[in-house]
Amino acid sequence: MAPPQAAHVNLSPAELSFLRATLAQTPPIRLDHTKGPKDFRSMRAEYDVLPGANGSARIALEDGTEALVGVKAEVEKSPWRPSATESNVLSVAARDVEMRDQDEDESRGKGQNAWIEMSVEIPGFRDDDPLPVFLASMLTESLLASGELKDRLYINRRFHWKLYIDILLLSPPLSYPLALLSMTTHLALLTSRLPALKSEKDEDPLFDDDWDASVPLYPKDRPTQPDTPPVIVLAMAVGSNIIFDPCKEELSVADAVLAVACTSAPSSPNGARVVSIRTIDPPSHLTPPGIPNAMNSATGGTVPASGAEALTQRELLANSGVWTPPRGGMKRGLISEVVKMVVEKGGIAEEVIGALQSIEVG
Amino acid sequence: MEYFSLKRSNAADRGGLNLSSKVYVRSTKSGKVQKIVRELYLRQDIPCSSNLCRPCLETAPTDYTKKVAPFVLSDTPAGSKNFPNGQYLVPDTNAFLTGMDLFEMETAFHDVIVLQTVLEEVKNRSLPLYHRLIALTKNEGKRFYVFFNEFRQETHIPRDVGETINDRNDRAVRKAVEWYNQHITQAVKTRSKSQMRIPSVVMITDDRDNLRKAKMEKVPAITLADFVFSLENADELLDMMSAAQDQREVRSKKTEVFYGEHYTVSKMMTGVKAGTMHQGIFNVSPYNYLEGSVHVPAFDKSLLILGRENSNRAVSGDVVVVEVLPQDQWKAPSTKIIEEETLNKNDNPEVEDGETIVSERERKALQEEVKRAHGQSSEGKPLPTARVVGIVKRNWRQYVGHIDQGSVRSTSKTSRQQQMVFLVPMDKRIPKIRIRTRQAGELLGQRILATIDSWDRDSRYPMGHFVRSLGELESKGAETEALLLEWDVQYKPFPKTVLDCLPAEGHDWKVPASLDDPGWKGRKNLRDLLVCSIDPPGCVDIDDALHARKLQNGNFEVGVHIADVSHFVKPNNAMDKEASQRGTTVYLVDKRIDMLPMLLGTDLCSLKPYVERYAFSVLWEITSDADIVSSQFTKSVIRSREAFSYEQAQIRIDDASQQDDLTNGMRTLLMLSKKLKQKRYEAGALNLASPEVKVQTESETSDPVDVQTKKLLDTNSLVEEFMLLANISVAAKNYEAFPQTALLRRHAAPPKTNFEELANQLKVKKGLELRSDSSKALADSLDTCVVPEEPFFNTLVRIMATRCMMSAEYFCAGTQAYPEFRHYGLASEIYTHFTSPIRRYADLEAHRQLAAAIEYEALDPSLQSKSKLEGVCKNINVRHRNAQMAGRASIEYYVGQALKGKDITEEGFVMKVFSNGFVVFVPRFGIESLIRLRDLATPEPEAQFDAENYVLKVGGEVNGSVELFEKVNVRITDEVEQSTGKRKVKLTLV
Repeated sequence: MAPPQAAHVNLSPAELSFLRATLAQTPPIRLDHTKGPKDFRSMRAEYDVLPGANGSARIALEDGTEALVGVKAEVEKSPWRPSATESNVLSVAARDVEMRDQDEDESRGKGQNAWIEMSVEIPGFRDDDPLPVFLASMLTESLLASGELKDRLYINRRFHWKLYIDILLLSPPLSYPLALLSMTTHLALLTSRLPALKSEKDEDPLFDDDWDASVPLYPKDRPTQPDTPPVIVLAMAVGSNIIFDPCKEELSVADAVLAVACTSAPSSPNGARVVSIRTIDPPSHLTPPGIPNAMNSATGGTVPASGAEALTQRELLANSGVWTPPRGGMKRGLISEVVKMVVEKGGIAEEVIGALQSIEVG
Repeated sequence: MEYFSLKRSNAADRGGLNLSSKVYVRSTKSGKVQKIVRELYLRQDIPCSSNLCRPCLETAPTDYTKKVAPFVLSDTPAGSKNFPNGQYLVPDTNAFLTGMDLFEMETAFHDVIVLQTVLEEVKNRSLPLYHRLIALTKNEGKRFYVFFNEFRQETHIPRDVGETINDRNDRAVRKAVEWYNQHITQAVKTRSKSQMRIPSVVMITDDRDNLRKAKMEKVPAITLADFVFSLENADELLDMMSAAQDQREVRSKKTEVFYGEHYTVSKMMTGVKAGTMHQGIFNVSPYNYLEGSVHVPAFDKSLLILGRENSNRAVSGDVVVVEVLPQDQWKAPSTKIIEEETLNKNDNPEVEDGETIVSERERKALQEEVKRAHGQSSEGKPLPTARVVGIVKRNWRQYVGHIDQGSVRSTSKTSRQQQMVFLVPMDKRIPKIRIRTRQAGELLGQRILATIDSWDRDSRYPMGHFVRSLGELESKGAETEALLLEWDVQYKPFPKTVLDCLPAEGHDWKVPASLDDPGWKGRKNLRDLLVCSIDPPGCVDIDDALHARKLQNGNFEVGVHIADVSHFVKPNNAMDKEASQRGTTVYLVDKRIDMLPMLLGTDLCSLKPYVERYAFSVLWEITSDADIVSSQFTKSVIRSREAFSYEQAQIRIDDASQQDDLTNGMRTLLMLSKKLKQKRYEAGALNLASPEVKVQTESETSDPVDVQTKKLLDTNSLVEEFMLLANISVAAKNYEAFPQTALLRRHAAPPKTNFEELANQLKVKKGLELRSDSSKALADSLDTCVVPEEPFFNTLVRIMATRCMMSAEYFCAGTQAYPEFRHYGLASEIYTHFTSPIRRYADLEAHRQLAAAIEYEALDPSLQSKSKLEGVCKNINVRHRNAQMAGRASIEYYVGQALKGKDITEEGFVMKVFSNGFVVFVPRFGIESLIRLRDLATPEPEAQFDAENYVLKVGGEVNGSVELFEKVNVRITDEVEQSTGKRKVKLTLV
């Protein structure tokens, strides 16, 4: 996957090497030494900041990165598709009185991916630059993966809501902004409301003009399904350590980075489940390597004759304390460990989702 | 970390709560659904508008002349039993909805504060009531003040969490009343220490919960009924409250329903869009109250709606949505006269138990219909029927009628017991209206104005309430007012704002003497032309004058000069608006209801003889064969030499000894007009007839003396021909200048099906052929419809043919394709009205457009907007038809009066045959009337109806037959019709 390159980190190989060493310790010592490996950076969040939008949220991190998300819903006509029960597509006039017991069942599986449109704007980037495009596709993917959200947009056989999610990073991308954008989006969707539907079945939709009567996109009063939009958390591996919510400098020494989209799942005993996982090419891959004495002619070493030879030599010197950009991906064992830490009872997912939910409640 | 919020918080607003917002959902026409946030800027300078209050006067905002709008509420408001110190009333929404007629009373309900919250709610609930309320607030004598409580900081309240809109609005009303009370108390105290009379501000509401909360919060409140009880003429006033509300409470125990439920709006809209349902205006047949029809855009012919169940509470005129019934329920239109009167005589308005929606007798009548429909071929083909599934828009208005005597239990005038009675509307197509009244005894025998309030599923007839009494049945005043109300003719005197638009000089206005005066700019001086006018005798609003003179090249110059009304009525001022509302002058037998104030209509605009007047002239050069060489349009000044009546003009032309230029000019006009007429007929113009009679009235009392058919002289058609020519010329000119917005008049070709029945009747009965492929063919075949021994027969056929036509209509050029412009009856490609601007608004608009077309003045923007012009056209089309109807109804009434107590035998012709009666037309009086079988003999004789040959064979003691077009002798007497309370001529067969 193309490296979604954010700002470069200006650290020397020696500094990088030191940083990696501290993070690889047991227990690791993070850049902000007050935080443990599972601790998130502190943030400020608020919702309903944009009065004209159906839902909106803003989150500011302590390092100064800040994101604003607005959600707008529009009624759209669904293209007519023939189905097995075609005969009663326009059954309104025929006075059919069959009542469906559960309208929830009716909408299951009817949603389509095109009903959600997302745009990510990052200052200093064009909208077709790799970073915003990649971020948008990651975020969309996680929203669509569970299929829950798009099914909520179903109105009837002829109409649906179209959701426009506009994500705006207000600050320059100081650290990799995926997790921040995801959390802001999560909060915006969680507080989004749609006008209450008054018409029935396949009629042209007619809505209650009282905004107070509008219904939340994610209803809170359904104890059976207190589900929430998915949220992406970032985890990185250094040696055998797993560190969540890494900051910019920490990322630059990561062996591998994992983006885990998770959502609450009342059905599973843990209360959370993973929706999607992606590895992200960490910026550490592009850091300049330190040159060990053995390879430096100035210190009496010999410069390797070819690139391949240099690589071999470096690998041998991997644990010597000279900085070498990490290579390869995430180890299998680590992935399953990350997943476990995310979904387990009282794990990261529950914590993050709970924290974001409590913003709305409190 | 420093932190700021992006949110604008209410609390953190510098302490001052001067900003609030309102959030709602708006659904647009295109189907978009938007969340709308409106910011509200709260102010403290909105005045209470009580003359008791000084501080408000100082802070109230001023207009551009630095003046504060005058305060409305009196400083000594009227008191009542409960509030002896006087009261300001603050009605809530429901009080206005149920009691609008009360609030409009001149004698009670002064000093009323209309809260913005209430006004907006009224607007949402009922637009007509909203307009009436707005009119009230403009009525200075009533002292209604609109207080913008939502914008005033002290009275604005945000909606609480979980509070319904209604509760919030109720709370807003209470809050406003509370504030007003404090405010007024304080104002009185600061004004003078000694004054103790502090008026109360009283909320009027019928909502129990609201009353309870008001009591808790110590806000003065009272129900509308309780308040009315404390007034003097409580009985009459109580009758005027809408019945919609209490009805619901009383009924709630009963579960029986008569009608099906209406579909939801969204369901109807979806159905209409998908084409499975249709929307149209519900019309009831004047012959059969159980048969309605709805014309929908999807089909050529109207859909039939049979029976009450299918018409499902629709009242004639409502916009309804219908659903076509399965084919096995299709029926033929009725050949039988069914009147509500005869079928439901014994209904009791109080009790409805045990009644079914279709009474037994109604059902029988319908069954006979079905049988008939099945046994018939050509004419009685079953037609698609439909049922009403919902009502998009109620077009309920106020209805004139009288109380059904049979429905009144106690007729004692002293009894104040409330009872339910039936009001029988004059319009037969409207069902009986149930009315609750305390004054039944007094109302019997009166013309009464009432409205419909509601029609619930569990009520067989609509509920309504009494508005006012017009006077004794059959008294001239009451009957004239009744017909004006029925046809919605605005007959109130012109308001002051309109009269203010008149020239300040009044009757002394003159054409300026100096040619340098701005009034002369662009005007031609035509004062030297020998112009004269020819009109009906006694005409005072002279629209048109003519002249003709020979040119040196042997051709003629002919001029039509039309009163220059557009000089006096400028676009968009109050007078123009009033005129566009009225649309036309309405001519009744004894009365004229003007479109423009008298000063203009009968003096300044009127082309009176011997004085100079502004005119708009059309001048042609015409060859002696009546071919037009050129035409010219100009504003001008003329001086009419003489005002003739048709008869005088005819005598003068016929008198060979008169050889002056004026008379010779008229002879030229007559000669040319005959040639023009000939050309018109050759092109296929129709010569149609309508039964026209003239009522001669005694000049003092305007009591009718005699009835005559109108005579037509050559001079009538002289004027007519040149007016047509002027209209056609102007139409072409206006269309050329404004291809999108020219106001024109069209007469659509009638669909062939319209003539089918008449053609068939002529073929079967007289062996004559009526062709209707083109207007020319129709004109020619009408000429051949002659029966030698019966000269009137041709006129009769023409009258019947006229009824098959479409009605002509005004339209805006951009809304139709050019071929659709055609005027069928006149066989002209393009046509407009130009020649009577004093009495028709369309002509006034045409004048303005022509003035712009000849670059005399700039065109007003309102005449450039297609949508605005379409609105104007729609209104004047309706007004035009209503004026005609009102005029006819007036003649009908006077004919009835003229024949009062008389007993005449006249000849008449059978125009229409039903299975249980027939319609006879009497040319002498221009009346047509129904003769039912049961009128022929008692008991009602047996009869066989041969629908294919249009013969009704009557058995029994009468023993004869009646066929279509037959000449019959009828005896004319008069009687008061039971169902409508109208005196009508009654015909019986001799």
